[in-house]
Amino acid sequence: MTKFREKRIRSSLCLGLLLIVFSFSACEGAAGKARTPHTSTFFAMDTVMSVTVYGDETAADEAEILVSDLEKKLSVTDENSDVARLNRDKSAVVSDDTYNVIKTSLELSERTDGAIDITVYPVVKAWGFTTGEYRVPSLEELGELLETVDHRKVDVSGENTETGENTVTIADDQTVDLGCIAKGYTGDAVIKMLKEKGVQSAIVNLGGNVQTLGMKPGGGLWNVGITDPFDLSGYAGSLYVREKCVITSGGYERYFTSENVRYHHIIDTKTGYPATSGLASVTVVGDSGVICDALSTALFALGLEKATEFYRNSEDFEAVFITESGELFITEGLRDAFTPLGNYENKKITVIEHENN
Amino acid sequence: MKTTDWIKIIGILFIVSVAAGLILWFLPARGKTANIYVDGECIKSIDLTLVSEPYEFTVTTGDGVNTVRVEKGRICVVSSDCPDKVCVETSWISDSGMPIVCLPHRLVIRIEKVSHADDNGFDAVTR
Repeated sequence: MTKFREKRIRSSLCLGLLLIVFSFSACEGAAGKARTPHTSTFFAMDTVMSVTVYGDETAADEAEILVSDLEKKLSVTDENSDVARLNRDKSAVVSDDTYNVIKTSLELSERTDGAIDITVYPVVKAWGFTTGEYRVPSLEELGELLETVDHRKVDVSGENTETGENTVTIADDQTVDLGCIAKGYTGDAVIKMLKEKGVQSAIVNLGGNVQTLGMKPGGGLWNVGITDPFDLSGYAGSLYVREKCVITSGGYERYFTSENVRYHHIIDTKTGYPATSGLASVTVVGDSGVICDALSTALFALGLEKATEFYRNSEDFEAVFITESGELFITEGLRDAFTPLGNYENKKITVIEHENN
Repeated sequence: MKTTDWIKIIGILFIVSVAAGLILWFLPARGKTANIYVDGECIKSIDLTLVSEPYEFTVTTGDGVNTVRVEKGRICVVSSDCPDKVCVETSWISDSGMPIVCLPHRLVIRIEKVSHADDNGFDAVTR
């Protein structure tokens, strides 16, 4: 080879190598940014919430603003909220979000035969769960209040597609509280907003309601721990999920004790008493936060037998049940995803088959 | 090949590695926290990614004094009045691979893994 060609080949090799190194470093830099988590932790809807977003520096803060916004509309205690106005005036024009939440709750009430019902609020209030002034209401009082509980009396036909104003009407003796599905709805709204921003990996924990977006950066599944209802600092198991909601209901979350009897906040809509279904906790896994949130409450109230029947008639969720005697049941779709932990490691796990209908 | 060829190849490789080193050095480091423990108790936490100007500080335990130096993305014990100076010999650490330990002074400097996991390696806990 001539000296000139030798030089040419050498400089191209040099350039080539430098380019390769540059691109590797650039990839490293970009990958590094995409793996950096940004977390916003804040207090809302009466609980601690955290939003963790990978690869986007401002999205977590924007999520906080979105949640705060929703709380102003949905809160039953904020006297300016849509819900408060509805409870006061019995008929009100409400925001799209509030309208959607109410409509969805009615659909779920139908689906669960009233096991979940936003109109159960007067009963919940009578027990003191909103004020903290706990008491055990008399059977008479509960009987009267139960008569007002009827989701079928909530009228959402006032949808005006022209003006965009949606009117909701409730009966004169009714008051509503969206607490049973508000967090699920909010989680869905946050995930939707993050997706629209192009976020590919995020995990949200709204007071124990876990919702995920995509997979972990690097392609792994999210590892979600399930609290042991008998030891709140321990775990009953873990679930490996990809873009799913994991939402738990249990009596241990909120309760008071009176004369050695424990009364928890998940009220049976038929009896007016805290549900005594034999379950300590129910964890529902699915794609929709609002559905998982509602079902975790409904199935807890229904008990294992009815919940199993419900599962066999549904296609949109899986669940983990822990009974009051500490037994563990999981629906068949979670067979590969679930790992028992701690005190449950040596326990028998009963798998509930779906038996396609 | 001639010796001169080999020299040229090595020369190119050297330049390339220096270039790579420079590029990696100037890359923004990911969030990393150095925790300083005395007697098992964390007395100080430093986010190494936020350090712009290098600085030093001393950690005085009942048994002696260690001088710690902090630079962007890394930390080391630059001097110590302990008898074995193992902590000084460890030199810089910039990731969670290995901690700096001064046994006589019961001092440990450890860089935490970049992870916001709740506990037990979970990404979140449902309750």
